[in-house]
Amino acid sequence: MNTSRTIWVLIPVLVLVLLVGYMGVRNHEQAAAPVHKRIPVYYWHMWTSEWGLTMNKVVDDFNASQTKYEVIPLQIPYGESDTKFLTSVAGGEPPDVMTQWDDAISGWSQEGILQPLDTRMTPQELEFFKNGTYSGIHNNGWYKGHLYGMVMGVDVYACYYRPDQFKAAGLDPNHFPTTLEELTEDAKKLSVKDSSGELTRVGFLPTGITNFAPSFGGGFWDPATSQVTLNTPANVRALSYIVGVDNYYGMNNVMRFNSSLKSQNGVSWPFIDGSFSITLDGEWRIKQLEQYAPNLKYEVAPLPPPAGGKAMASGTAMNYLTIPSGARHPDGAWAFIKFWSGLDHPANSAKYNADFYWLPSSPAMEQSPDYQAFLKQHPHYKTFVELAASKNLGVSPPVPYQLYLKDRILNASDLAERGTMTPEQALTSLEHEIAVEKSRRKELGYDQ
Amino acid sequence: MKKNWVGFAFISPWLLGFLAFTLYPFIASVYLSFTRYNIVTPPVWVGLANYHQMFTQDPLFWKSLSVTFNFAAASVPLGIVAGVSLALLLNLNIKGMSLYRTIFFLPSILPTVATSVVFMWIFNPEIGLINKFLKLFGIVGPAWLQSPQWAPWSLVLMSLWAVGGSMVIYLAGLKDIPAYLYEAATIDGANAWQRLRHVTLPMLSPVIFFNMVMGLIAVFQYFTQAYVMTQGGPEDSTRFYALEIFDRAWRYLDMGYASAMGWVLFLIVMLITGLMFWTQRRWVHYEG
Repeated sequence: MNTSRTIWVLIPVLVLVLLVGYMGVRNHEQAAAPVHKRIPVYYWHMWTSEWGLTMNKVVDDFNASQTKYEVIPLQIPYGESDTKFLTSVAGGEPPDVMTQWDDAISGWSQEGILQPLDTRMTPQELEFFKNGTYSGIHNNGWYKGHLYGMVMGVDVYACYYRPDQFKAAGLDPNHFPTTLEELTEDAKKLSVKDSSGELTRVGFLPTGITNFAPSFGGGFWDPATSQVTLNTPANVRALSYIVGVDNYYGMNNVMRFNSSLKSQNGVSWPFIDGSFSITLDGEWRIKQLEQYAPNLKYEVAPLPPPAGGKAMASGTAMNYLTIPSGARHPDGAWAFIKFWSGLDHPANSAKYNADFYWLPSSPAMEQSPDYQAFLKQHPHYKTFVELAASKNLGVSPPVPYQLYLKDRILNASDLAERGTMTPEQALTSLEHEIAVEKSRRKELGYDQ
Repeated sequence: MKKNWVGFAFISPWLLGFLAFTLYPFIASVYLSFTRYNIVTPPVWVGLANYHQMFTQDPLFWKSLSVTFNFAAASVPLGIVAGVSLALLLNLNIKGMSLYRTIFFLPSILPTVATSVVFMWIFNPEIGLINKFLKLFGIVGPAWLQSPQWAPWSLVLMSLWAVGGSMVIYLAGLKDIPAYLYEAATIDGANAWQRLRHVTLPMLSPVIFFNMVMGLIAVFQYFTQAYVMTQGGPEDSTRFYALEIFDRAWRYLDMGYASAMGWVLFLIVMLITGLMFWTQRRWVHYEG
């Protein structure tokens, strides 16, 4: 075949390939388009399995209530959610609403990736949001005086404990310790070693400074001064407590015991298989216990305070709804957020929080018939609901280097818990690291 | 000239991909390394700030560099020794040799993520395969991935799992060594060790050199295993350079800084590769 003929054969082939590719994209777009003549609101989230079904129900209910908008959900893998989202924003094709599970709200707000939400609220809605919702809802998601992430679910942490193991250890199964010191002593009696001296059960094993700092009066954000707090006496006490328990059992023994735990989820959760008598965990475990160990007898109580500490305290973790800057239909996005969060009608949204096994976002939602029915059916939730109403909950520091801060706090806690550094050294080192990062950001021209 | 155009037409899909997804980002990253950039808003020029901070203020830059260098110093030589040894064994005339070669090559084609997950269980201090095996002899194994001292060594050990890829190249190199050299050495009275030392290894040195260069480049891009298995921990002991670049770029949205880190890595790899090419005159022997 001569060369000119080859070129004339190749050119149509290339054109054909490009055309097929274009048609594929067009078909994909058409397949994703709404069936009805309503304004599409594209919504990305990471809820899967049973939560995915609940998520679809919220979307279906919203769509049924609408004549103007239609939410089109897309479930994306959590591990890639941030990168997919950021590239979609960069490419000018972001979703209209996006779920966010990480502490990235402040950082993304500073970078202009998210839209403020409080400016969309009516004065009445803003008043209700600030004063009518629980602190975990209205204290998070802010950056420089504006709300960029609407908290949909707040996780708080309480002690799950097993009365059968209390009884077997000679403890009163009807009395849960009222101080952290008492709990620590009881936990020693609950712990079991095998003939070779290896731990086979641990009464209570504290880990992670963020969950314990609030009980010691500490934490990483001071709302009064709007400052990050790191190397404070209260945080040192909290970390020293964790390290003290590790030292009692022996750091190597603790590490080996933790390694022997099969999984943190499902039927192998160490509390279900009896590896822990008491464990500090979130409210979502109740659903897992119902699913994987329906016959297990357990109780739930708030973490008792240490001497001089705070009762009804807990660390928190949040999931948010956000509207990206380049969203094409932000009004529709806001209509969906309002519908689901129950900002205007808390009682109407109570069933969604109940279906998700989430805590209520406000006393009004808690008192609604739907949520009361849920509490009646799941009495263990009451402890978590009481915690949600507490003023002593940890707050995620609303600084733009939030994720870096979170990672370095975890690292500092790890350094101390492994015995590589003392709690004081670990927190001093953390303070230094954060000071360096702040200085680095300043040199780059960021205001914080 | 027309013939050239036909060639270009045939490779145009690759060429377009290369220009758009490799060359353009490569050049753009030079500019981005002098900016503050979050991929969403336009980059802001910050001059040498990223490089200045990297060398003077960022402890994680130095830590990740040290972790990567230490890993390279351990895993590349070990990989070569293991690869060459395996190739020598699989070069023997034994029945069923094709099967053995296939078995040793198989791990190198398995997906890295799947392999990493399996090795997380193998390295489990309590219920892992290695420590269970050591326990049979009364040895209490280390905590592997959960110990800052052992975690990097665990990854070095794991890197040997995929040595089959380079082994195949060594094997091809061994097959290429002329038989008459061995015959001459044998006639001269050389024993097996002397034949290995003075015939096999010098004749294999170009292949060893190639694998060493490729191995070093791969090690400086080491990411997936650390991302899946340790995420830089414990205590930053496996905070590899590529992992730190990823975190800076996508987790902390500092693409400018990550680009600067990428360019430092590129220069380091270029420098080391250049050094290796310079030293090869002393130890690499090309036939003829």
